[in-house]
Amino acid sequence: MDKYYKKRLVPLVLPAAILFVMVILLPFAVGVIYSFSGWRGTYFVGGEHFWDAFVGFKNYINVFKSQKFINAFTYTIAFTLVAAVSINIVSLLMALLSTALHKGAGLYRTIYFLPNLLGGLALGYIWQFIFEIVFSEIVFNENGLISIPFFCNMLQNKWKAMFALAILVTWQMAGYMMLIYTTGLNNIPKDLSEAAAIDGAGVWQRFKNITIPMLMSSFTIVFFLTLSRCFMLLDQNVALTDGNFSTRLLATQILRTTKDTNPPDYGLAQAQAVIFFILIAVVSLTQVAVTKKREVEL
Amino acid sequence: MRSMKGYHKLLEIVIHIILIILAVTILSPLVFLMFNSFKSNNEIVASPIALPEVWSFRYIINAVDKINFFGALGVTFVVTFCSIVLLIVVSSFAAWAMVRSKSVISNIMFMCCTAAMLIPFQSLMYPLLDIFEKMGLKNIYGLILMYGGFGLSMSVFLYHGFIKSVPASLEEAALIDGANLFQMFFKVEFPLLKGTTVTVIVLNGMWIWNDYLLPFLVIGNKEGFKTLTLELYFAKLTSGQYGNPWELIFPAVFITIIPIILLYIILQKYIVAGVTDGAIKM
Repeated sequence: MDKYYKKRLVPLVLPAAILFVMVILLPFAVGVIYSFSGWRGTYFVGGEHFWDAFVGFKNYINVFKSQKFINAFTYTIAFTLVAAVSINIVSLLMALLSTALHKGAGLYRTIYFLPNLLGGLALGYIWQFIFEIVFSEIVFNENGLISIPFFCNMLQNKWKAMFALAILVTWQMAGYMMLIYTTGLNNIPKDLSEAAAIDGAGVWQRFKNITIPMLMSSFTIVFFLTLSRCFMLLDQNVALTDGNFSTRLLATQILRTTKDTNPPDYGLAQAQAVIFFILIAVVSLTQVAVTKKREVEL
Repeated sequence: MRSMKGYHKLLEIVIHIILIILAVTILSPLVFLMFNSFKSNNEIVASPIALPEVWSFRYIINAVDKINFFGALGVTFVVTFCSIVLLIVVSSFAAWAMVRSKSVISNIMFMCCTAAMLIPFQSLMYPLLDIFEKMGLKNIYGLILMYGGFGLSMSVFLYHGFIKSVPASLEEAALIDGANLFQMFFKVEFPLLKGTTVTVIVLNGMWIWNDYLLPFLVIGNKEGFKTLTLELYFAKLTSGQYGNPWELIFPAVFITIIPIILLYIILQKYIVAGVTDGAIKM
């Protein structure tokens, strides 16, 4: 039987292989090569082919000299940390509370998940208005409901805008992550907790010593999803501040590099893109390795 | 024992109250979006959280016209639908062949697919566009192929995981009964993959429908081929030169999300199940 399939493997896999090579492998390889050249998008500096325009590590050196890139880099890391922490806290709380209920959890889940279905750009526009008008002029104003200056004009300050973006992303993604935590919580056998309770363990002790370790595989998934999604965030960033006030995330920075330079320096943008890939690969692989190690097998 | 029961009841009520407050917080931006879709610019800025004085449909009608709503809806639907069909056919075939043939090549291919999930779109978008432009595919067909390529890794991964658990003996029986390769796949294997297919449809559909960057790079501002998200982006961009035209943006956002919300209300069970399954199998 194995032989039967082996003979037919190639034609079955061929369409997928063609798509993969055409859309992922070839562009990726070309991208790495072009990042070492004076690529301008439609032509190469100094010749017809990329080897005529080979510049060695010049693009990479320029990337690390670029204030904009360094800024986007630190901003992305800070944002990812803040957003990942807040998404995880909110979604875990939602999951813990709703699984404690006897009925009605499904309805809450349905509502909480809703923002996830909507586009980042569309949501970004609504939240831009909320931050600029509702927060700044009605709710958190001096004459408003409660005066909290921090929540006023959040989009006009680099670090406040980071928190604004984190609020938006938490609002959008928490419902998704909650689904994963809920499934994880429902998979923990009830008798573990009951046995511990009989032995006299309190709520916090049971949470710390039973729920958290048993939930490790959910943490792996949720951390992976939140970290990679926040790290690669683009639409919400474009819609909310469009990168103004030094609020560019890395994805936006790569997209806008070709607009910053004249003639458009695609070689420079591509070098940033390669660094971006390496960062994501390192961050996700380390995270998965670290959390996987702590997973408990029953 | 009785006081224990009362305590549990009270606790449940407190939890309900917290969850309801959360639900209201989550829904309020959307409710607020709906209200403001019926107001003029002045009214929106002057009283953003109030109900509209008059429920006037003129702003929505204006937005439908400005963002070419029905045309864009059609384009978005065609792109999403074709990409997903392409993805399902190509990736289920490939995953099936990879699982059943158990050869070194198929293992290598599967590893390539998994590794590719770490590649962010930004790190290959410029060369991708360059290559597709040279092939004459910087258009809607190219866009569908690109989605097919980008969704491939995850879809193959999901199908691969499931097919591993399906015994090959069913197919062998069909083969002995004289079925050919395609009958074996579509009549025997594919119906078993229903759950995974729902996950593939939901996860890719959510992403492709709302995607902004890829259509922006491939189609740009080309008349008649813009997706909903693109129409929205350009509407905001062009009218944003004269302050923020909220009386256009709010109804425009509102009408672009209505189809998704309707779909969610109808298919909610499948969507939630699909997303959860997908995340857990990762």
